[in-house]
Amino acid sequence: MSKDIAYHYEDKSRNKLVAAYLLTGGLVIGLMMVFGILMLLNQGGILNLSPATFYQFLTIHGTGMIGAAALAAAGLMWYFLGQYVQLSKKIFVWNLVLFIIAVVMVIVGIFSFEYASAWTFLYPLPALSANAWGTIGALLYLVGMLVLGTGFLLLYIDTGRAIIRKYGSLTKGLGWDILFGKKDVKDAPPKAVIASTMVTIVNTTAIIAGAIVLIMNIINVINPSFTFDPLLAKNLTYAFGHVFANAIIYMAVIVVYELLPKYANRPWGVSKLFLVAWTCSTIFTLVIYTHHMLMDPVMPRWMLIMGQVLSYANGLPVLVVTAYGALMVVYKSGIKWDMASRLAYLSMFGWVIGVVPAIIDATIVVNHVMHNTKWVPGHFHMYMGVGAVVMLFSFMYYLAKVDSDVQDTMLDKIGFFCYAIAMFSISIQFLVSGAISTPRRWATHFPEWMGPAQFGAIAGVFAVIGTLIFVIHFIRYMKNRGTAGSDMYEKKLA
Amino acid sequence: MVQTVAWITSLVFMSLIVIVFFAVAVKSKERRDYEPIKKKWYKARKFYATTVITILVVAALGTLRQLPYDQPVYGEAVEPTIVDVKALQFGWDMSQTEFKVGEPVEFHVTSQDVTHGFGIYNEDKTLIAQTQAMPEYTNVVYITFDEPGTYEILCMEYCGLAHHLMIGEITVTE
Repeated sequence: MSKDIAYHYEDKSRNKLVAAYLLTGGLVIGLMMVFGILMLLNQGGILNLSPATFYQFLTIHGTGMIGAAALAAAGLMWYFLGQYVQLSKKIFVWNLVLFIIAVVMVIVGIFSFEYASAWTFLYPLPALSANAWGTIGALLYLVGMLVLGTGFLLLYIDTGRAIIRKYGSLTKGLGWDILFGKKDVKDAPPKAVIASTMVTIVNTTAIIAGAIVLIMNIINVINPSFTFDPLLAKNLTYAFGHVFANAIIYMAVIVVYELLPKYANRPWGVSKLFLVAWTCSTIFTLVIYTHHMLMDPVMPRWMLIMGQVLSYANGLPVLVVTAYGALMVVYKSGIKWDMASRLAYLSMFGWVIGVVPAIIDATIVVNHVMHNTKWVPGHFHMYMGVGAVVMLFSFMYYLAKVDSDVQDTMLDKIGFFCYAIAMFSISIQFLVSGAISTPRRWATHFPEWMGPAQFGAIAGVFAVIGTLIFVIHFIRYMKNRGTAGSDMYEKKLA
Repeated sequence: MVQTVAWITSLVFMSLIVIVFFAVAVKSKERRDYEPIKKKWYKARKFYATTVITILVVAALGTLRQLPYDQPVYGEAVEPTIVDVKALQFGWDMSQTEFKVGEPVEFHVTSQDVTHGFGIYNEDKTLIAQTQAMPEYTNVVYITFDEPGTYEILCMEYCGLAHHLMIGEITVTE
């Protein structure tokens, strides 16, 4: 009996922390959407922001969205991975604390010291701003990013440690012993462990690359006589940025793996093909960042060709394994549709459909006339906004369902359609803008480019309304947390 | 035009995905035994995977044959016009800005400060070629203008607060 009580206490305390991650992520994402709308209104000629204000919004929007989505996805991963391995709660708390410190530094750097290098901070822009911002703003931003990375690095070191302790090594966490015939596939690690192992590997690598380029930028800002190779810096920046942003969906998809089979009451086991797909995703995610550098012909030719070929190949694990598996689980299953399952299904749709413009843009001959047009945000608003972030919302509803008696309402349903249609529309307007050659990251547009931006701003309002509805539901859950015992868990999903 | 092909291709594949997800969602209301479904659709996956891989391989082989990085093969006695381009916050310094239709031109692009993007736009505001303008490196754009007119050079990489004002002009005559 006392063991049960201890278990429930531990469970509740873990859920409280995970909820703090999700709430922080959800609120920041909602707020960043507002900056997105303001930027689109400016590009649409409706607002008249100063260039300094616009580019500060651009910087906070990108940094905030990636940071917040990564934080919430890390909370999601920690929740499910923690059901299979022993994770450190202290490190989980420290990551949140460091994240909040980083957010404060970044916000002060941007809005008090007018720092606006965009979240890609391409060297030597942080130091050479044409007097738009000074050393303090640049240092606050860059050190803030370093603090943020440190928190995440600690977290991934801990997930790696826990996986190695339970399964023996990271390769075993990916199921390589099964692929090499040393173990039967029925003894494979759970999907949450496989995905977490992949993310641990790629994000540890990405954060180290990011830390190197951040530290070099910091030294350059303090002492401009210290310089380094801009092409190396660009490689490191994208090796960090691409992988870190990409890993969000690989953390968040765990909720789809865990949730859909329960709702559809069908097994979704680990197969050898599944293991191969995740190993491929691990390798591809690490190396395909060069598709951001297709317009740098000074790069070794083979790296650019690999950038295209492996970007194509990177679509296969999701197209052939994960999404196909999800569709099979749902097809003629009589699945119980509620907010969590609806959002999980929508997120798979978002991921898959986002692959299409990504593959198109990774084609070198296309990239030659579409790189750094709004086609690129078109792809990642689909992939992130309709894919990864929707997985986070799905998890928020899932957690509310299994850990409280808070019910989905008609308003939540309205929020679902509101968000889904709005975010899809936003993505499409970006793609249309890209197809008509509108450059991205431009404070103002020529009149012929303004229409899609105006449409996107209107759609953005509905996306914010949808997000607000989701977050309010989650706050209601947090107020009523623990009102459903864990024994209710399976019963409520059936 | 490459953009139109990219857009139509994307629309076709995205529409297919919408149809599949919508159809599965509609069919999800029925409840059937999973084993026959697994058997049927695992078999179908082999065909589906083969089709997807074939499309990607064909697309890769087709598009990798003509890379914009390669210097075109010029005819005998044809010398390309070499244009030195230096980007700097927030303008373009070009050694030549007037060209003839049919004249092969090579823009040798670098930067004196931060990274910029050298994008050539035609009079319809359509991007027809680009490369990154990097400090310490020189990237080359190979182009032969087909149409006379005034072309604009827009910055395609965020470079600071006047990024969107960094616009140059070149003229192409008959």
